[in-house]
Amino acid sequence: MAKGESPLKQFEIQPIVDINFLGFDISFTNSALWMTITTAFILIFFTVPFLKAKKTNSVSDLYPSRMQVAAELGFNFINSLLADTVGKEGKKYFPLVFTLFMFILFGNLFGMIPYSFTFTSHIIVTLALAMGVFIFVTVLGFVKHGVKFFSFFVIPGLPVYMLPLLIPIEIISYLSRPISLSVRLFANMLAGHTLLKVFAGFVSALGFFGILPLVFIITLTGLEILIAFLQAYVFAILTCLYINDALHLH
Amino acid sequence: MPQLEQVEFFISQLFWLGVFFVILFTVLTYITLPKIRAFLNQRDDFVKSHISKQDELIKKAESIIENYEAKLTEAKNQASQIINDAKDKALKESENLIKATEEKIQHEIKQTEERVAKEKDTAISEINDQLKDSATNFLSKVTNIEKGNINL
Repeated sequence: MAKGESPLKQFEIQPIVDINFLGFDISFTNSALWMTITTAFILIFFTVPFLKAKKTNSVSDLYPSRMQVAAELGFNFINSLLADTVGKEGKKYFPLVFTLFMFILFGNLFGMIPYSFTFTSHIIVTLALAMGVFIFVTVLGFVKHGVKFFSFFVIPGLPVYMLPLLIPIEIISYLSRPISLSVRLFANMLAGHTLLKVFAGFVSALGFFGILPLVFIITLTGLEILIAFLQAYVFAILTCLYINDALHLH
Repeated sequence: MPQLEQVEFFISQLFWLGVFFVILFTVLTYITLPKIRAFLNQRDDFVKSHISKQDELIKKAESIIENYEAKLTEAKNQASQIINDAKDKALKESENLIKATEEKIQHEIKQTEERVAKEKDTAISEINDQLKDSATNFLSKVTNIEKGNINL
């Protein structure tokens, strides 16, 4: 980071190719570039090891290649996540949860590369993902239960006189789902990257004693990688829970 | 904060997010994930079939062990029976031998006793005869009567 640059400069969108479509500015930006890289990486990472995978005919075919093991790890991780939260019916929604988790995870992780861009640190991106999940889950609830879906806001076993108070609370908490979902991811990415940049500024400012913030940055980078994984996991597990709510109501 | 200031790029970001998310979702749903699932299922089936085969083999081995043990105990029983029989036989034979020997000895003792008694009798009668002879001789010499006329 050059001297005097704001730690927030890393979040600036820079257009690479200016595109104007029907009056809309849909320029290919650095954000779009890293979305491209993320998408390409995920597709290569999970598809290529299985292109050459042999059919299991003998015991020696049982040993998967290293890339295959890594891909299976991600597959089984989301598989068990869905099975634990939604159960057997969750299998249908596996591709959605898998796509969401991998897209956010690798978006976060690639954001940790110096000079890269973290598209998940933009509220508009995370809000779009969260709204997508919210709308999908709501539509799913109405398709599965019809008008009965409104009974979701009525907590069973409560005295009737409590309902006028609790139904609005339930509705507000339901409507705030996409906001909490998107802000959680966005704020975590924003805070982590900003903190890293602020301490990076200290390294050059303190001269010899810059070694101290440098050590801190190294430690913090490890923590940020953990958060990158954790936030993707939280996003995925909350999506699973929302799907479960829509399928089973209470 | 660029996130809230660069409003002019919102549509661009949403557009490209949509494009790449849809691409990713479509390719994963229709190509990648079915491939991985099919592969994992195939491997699971293979492992399961081998496990069932293994169970069969274990059962077979167990039956073989049972068979072997049964045969072993049978053989042990037979061996102990043979040993017992042999012991009994030997015991009987030795008893018989002892008895026979005792009988033989007793018989011999009896025979010897009889012989002794006989010899004693003959000896006594011989002595008697000799005594008679010498008495007859003595009497005939003393009395001058012919031997033939003397009757003791």
